[in-house]
Amino acid sequence: MQEIYLGIDVGSVSTNIIAIDDKNKVVHSQYIRTNGQPLDSVKNGLKELKKNLPQDMKVRGVGTTGSGRQLIGVMVGADVVKNEITAHATATSQLVPNVKTIFEIGGQDSKIIIIEDQMVVDFAMNTVCAAGTGSFLDHQAERLGVPIEKFGDLALTAERDVRIAGRCTVFAESDMIAKQQFGFSKAEIIKGLCEALVRNYINNLGRGKKLEPPFVFQGGVAANKGIKAAFEKEINEEVIIPKHYNIMGALGSAILAKEHLEANGNPTSFRGFEAADLDFVPSTFECGDCSNKCEVIKVELNKEVVAMWGDRCGKWVGSL
Amino acid sequence: MKVSFPYMGTTVVYKKLLELLGHEVIVPPKPSQRTINLGVKYSPEFACFPLKVIMGSYIEAIEKGAEVIITSGGHGPCRAGFYEKVHSKILQAENHDVEFIVFDSMFRNFKGFFRNIYRIKQNNSWYKVSQSLLFVYNMIKKLDILEKEVETIRAYEIRKGETTRAWEKIQDLFDKASTKKELEGAFNKGTQLLREIKQEKVHDSNKIRIGIVGEIYVVMEASINMKIEEILGSLGAEVERSQYLSQWINYNVTPKFINRTHEMEILKKGEKYIPIPIGGHAKQTVGHIVDFNERGFDGVIHLMPFACLPELVSQSIIPKITEELGIPVLTLAIDEQAGTANSLTRIEAFLDLIQGKKSKKIS
Repeated sequence: MQEIYLGIDVGSVSTNIIAIDDKNKVVHSQYIRTNGQPLDSVKNGLKELKKNLPQDMKVRGVGTTGSGRQLIGVMVGADVVKNEITAHATATSQLVPNVKTIFEIGGQDSKIIIIEDQMVVDFAMNTVCAAGTGSFLDHQAERLGVPIEKFGDLALTAERDVRIAGRCTVFAESDMIAKQQFGFSKAEIIKGLCEALVRNYINNLGRGKKLEPPFVFQGGVAANKGIKAAFEKEINEEVIIPKHYNIMGALGSAILAKEHLEANGNPTSFRGFEAADLDFVPSTFECGDCSNKCEVIKVELNKEVVAMWGDRCGKWVGSL
Repeated sequence: MKVSFPYMGTTVVYKKLLELLGHEVIVPPKPSQRTINLGVKYSPEFACFPLKVIMGSYIEAIEKGAEVIITSGGHGPCRAGFYEKVHSKILQAENHDVEFIVFDSMFRNFKGFFRNIYRIKQNNSWYKVSQSLLFVYNMIKKLDILEKEVETIRAYEIRKGETTRAWEKIQDLFDKASTKKELEGAFNKGTQLLREIKQEKVHDSNKIRIGIVGEIYVVMEASINMKIEEILGSLGAEVERSQYLSQWINYNVTPKFINRTHEMEILKKGEKYIPIPIGGHAKQTVGHIVDFNERGFDGVIHLMPFACLPELVSQSIIPKITEELGIPVLTLAIDEQAGTANSLTRIEAFLDLIQGKKSKKIS
């Protein structure tokens, strides 16, 4: 019988579900586009996972992370619900034990994490703006008619440098159009975009931080060779892309779940793969008891309310 | 006349003082989403967040019948000094007939200060005024003592939310007190209420203490700072703010040459990083970070209104302080956004970082 731990990372663009064994080795992983349907993508992922795992395996624990961690945590019965920063750092320091700086670029947000002796000592996340994230690239790729998967390779073929303003997506776009009119090739424009994104990332998130090697680059955008090259050009150092670069959050949360259960010896609260078939309905309502009019999220499992959050006063949270 | 004031922190004390002097007091409603919406609607887009919230708060007070608004002034290179002028201009333009009484520092404008006092004093004797001031000052001091306890106990409460409910009850008890004896009674009852809260036993070495620094309004007013103290408490961290009303009063009513208050010390501690006054609470912010570090706090959360100039300056100096002293600091910009998921992620990760530092592990 094989004992496994699950990690689920529910992000804006992708939902990742992975299973690790007791040596933190990834047994199986699923990378699914969230498409605005986190519940369905997790359900599908769980079903796929079950199909691909040996029949006699036993789930010992489960952890969730990402922006949908709370909701999915309730659905699957997570043992650990952790923020993405801690989850990513946990996974990276397993795979690259001497890591000092982590660049993580996802769909809607990007982070920088500074590590010392396998401990997070500083971090930053991008704020309100999406410039410098995967969605920015996605959008530009669409504009240029280049599939995002080919974006990076194309950037590497560029012969000339072109500077594109990366401070703001709107300005970047008009700058890009101007450079197109000047006669730069698609490849060159794309390379310019990659460099603009990296410049923006370093200026925004790296401000006031000491960036030291080894550098690890992860998150969905790490698949893009153009960005990797732009990072290496900007910081003049090698950038490591770990094997599981696009599922690091899920990996970290699985490891955290495992460590948590090992430390306290409790059994898992995982609802089982059947969770995928449960009648699980989240809904929202506006509480009208004061002028805050909070939007309260209510989660029902088989018609029974299992979780509530979103109220500022704690009346609903505390009602269970 | 019906008087009102900006909503900030434990408002029962301002209310009490004005009531003791025989005014009809209109307490503005606690800032809510509606307050913010109103404030944002009528304020200049680029104005800082406290101006907008206070704007909304004034409009709500006027709806409840306020005729006179009493507020504090300001000076130096921070927009807070213009608040009253901007607010009254906007209210005028919207045909709201209110009058402002602005208290500037009495050491800058003694005459103006006393003219204001005369207006608020009405027919009360000077004896009555001084007694009222003393009473309210005592009240503030006692409330601050209890609030500091609340901020500690909350981290270890077994039933979530119990401490916050007790704190609300305590403010109510104080609101009902108007004699020295009743005040004493409210304080004892409050102490007892807090003592009854069942707490988890946590070993001293596992306790986490977080200081909160930054611009006074976003630090003091829980309804607009995501209830940061309650969030930290629920995640198991003790909290202490940089600003308490009693400290602010001590500092502002003591003449400079005899001023030995805590705040003077704080300013001195920050001098190395920000040598000159640059407005707002930037000097205090850096001073408090140094102070929290010296007192063995595990980390500091720095709150600033989005686009607050003085706090932007302190924000850019903070990495240097962290590098020199080793205390982790997390800056959060506060604006009208209602979604807190993003900030929550940072706060959780920040506490993980601190916990990790203690246990030499990531989480």
